[in-house]
Amino acid sequence: MGFQDRLSRELVAAWAIAKKDVLIYYLRPGVIVGGVLFPLFMFLAFTAGKLATPVALVPGLIGITTLFSASSIEPVSVPIERRMATFDRLLAAPISLNALVLGESLSGLLYSLLIAVVVFVAALIILMTPITNIFLIVLGILFSSLCFATLGTLFAAYPTENPGDIISMVNVIRFPLIFISGVFIPIATLPAVGQMIAYISPLTYANDLIQGGYNGKMTFHPIVDVLMLIVFILIFQLIANYLYKRFND
Amino acid sequence: MKGTNLEFEEGDKIVLHNGSPLLPTSTDGAAAKAIDTPTPSDGAAAKAIETTKTDAQAIEVSHLVKRFGAFTAVNDISFSVAVGETFGFLGPNGAGKTTTIRMLTGISPPTSGMATIFGHDIVRETVAARQSMGIVSETSNVYTDLTGWQNMMLAAQLYRVGRSERDKKATELLKRFELHERRGDKVHGYSKGMKRRLTIAMGLVNSPRLLFLDEPTSGLDVESNLIIRDMISDLIAGGVTVFLTTHNIEEANVLCDRVAIIDKGHIAAIDAPERLKKTIQSVQSVEVAFLDGKSPERLDELRSLPMVNDARKEGDKFKLFTENPTEVIESVMAYAQTHHTRVISITTLGPSLEDVFVKLTGLQHSGGGVTAID
Repeated sequence: MGFQDRLSRELVAAWAIAKKDVLIYYLRPGVIVGGVLFPLFMFLAFTAGKLATPVALVPGLIGITTLFSASSIEPVSVPIERRMATFDRLLAAPISLNALVLGESLSGLLYSLLIAVVVFVAALIILMTPITNIFLIVLGILFSSLCFATLGTLFAAYPTENPGDIISMVNVIRFPLIFISGVFIPIATLPAVGQMIAYISPLTYANDLIQGGYNGKMTFHPIVDVLMLIVFILIFQLIANYLYKRFND
Repeated sequence: MKGTNLEFEEGDKIVLHNGSPLLPTSTDGAAAKAIDTPTPSDGAAAKAIETTKTDAQAIEVSHLVKRFGAFTAVNDISFSVAVGETFGFLGPNGAGKTTTIRMLTGISPPTSGMATIFGHDIVRETVAARQSMGIVSETSNVYTDLTGWQNMMLAAQLYRVGRSERDKKATELLKRFELHERRGDKVHGYSKGMKRRLTIAMGLVNSPRLLFLDEPTSGLDVESNLIIRDMISDLIAGGVTVFLTTHNIEEANVLCDRVAIIDKGHIAAIDAPERLKKTIQSVQSVEVAFLDGKSPERLDELRSLPMVNDARKEGDKFKLFTENPTEVIESVMAYAQTHHTRVISITTLGPSLEDVFVKLTGLQHSGGGVTAID
């Protein structure tokens, strides 16, 4: 089997897995609460606290929306599928673990894109948020969505049949990221330790791209942001592959 | 055999019009089909016989071991399954059946040893090995929030069945399993039997050369049972290699060319069902029913008859185990006369596959069924 044929086979399978998730899980209560309502409430809390104007908070809102929505599908779907034994069907299919992980992540990516576009358009219409460079916003949403979707898939490798177990673990990572990635609190105002941690947060680079797209202010060059997000995606994918293989037993 | 009243093949037996089994002349059940070379009633059966003549192995397992920490679930098992053979894998709960299937399907890597599927190493060439197999797991693992049709399409895409072939195959299978009219309904509205049938249909969507069937008919209604049994028979006739795990020993007896009995991770025996039965000829029995049914003391009284090793009540009958059926029949007739009752039926039985299973796995009969000692 040639490389092209193999790649095509893997992509068809990954798309089939993603499509299945779209049909089954997008309207699950756990996904809506974690992926849509939580970022919205966070935005309202910061707005009500008058930490910044709503317009200034929009880039941050989009950042945390991608984080929460992209990483909310697999922590719900994979444990449920383990319980129903449908996950075994995917594990036994003639596809590589890469295709399985990619397929699972794709559904998180699509969900995140959908929600982010809604937020983007709503902000544009309701708040008339000014835009400096829409290309940077698109890049930020696209790469951060894939990155956080892969993060969700990675955590979902934990061998449990209870979505709550995985959601709790993911939240241990997601919540601190909001505060150390310059989303609502600028990195420059963080203590030295916080600033150092910010560099190892994928949300920092995603937020940098989106902020740059809205207000032109960036900490890093856009290429650095994109490259860092690609590195995170690859790391998460590799770890996810390893964990799914290890926990299959 | 041309011109005889040959009807069809059942496992390692050729069934004649009067239902009596013709024992194979070969030690190997799969080869036995080739030796008798009947003139089959259809082309599919001919294909099956032709296929079994090849030397190719569908499955080859060599010194397979699986450990979970200190616990050894599968301990150094080796066997092979010929192309076109129907192979039964029997064992009590926890014997290592599912672990073996998980290794053979590439879900769980073996601790040591190797297994190949049509020559493809399941660890190193997992994708190639899986492409030619269909897997029907013990649980009906279908997506209940999708429709029957969507489930079929998902399975077809995972196995990369081409777009035009996908629709054709799905339609054909859904009709075959009498699910076509409900194809647009979400599966959570299906009955247990319908879900099971859909699971099997999904396992066949890639037209596999090898089918793993894990407890295909367990706990199903009669209609689903019949549909599934018919389908398995058709697959066998079509030359598909079947690896069947079942608790239903009679099902294995009827369908399988050979069976392996696994217990505590070891293979206790592998052979054709009829040959396995011959190894325990001492477990013959006499089945008897009395006109006045049962009395509480009757079982103990029958057990104490000369040459009766053990007795068991089975429905309205008693089954008396013996090495000398003739003498036991005489004793039973004398018993009936002494107790002023009449024998309404009496039959001598050879050992069943269940008897072999019980003997090899150390299980014991309890009431009408089989229970584990521990």
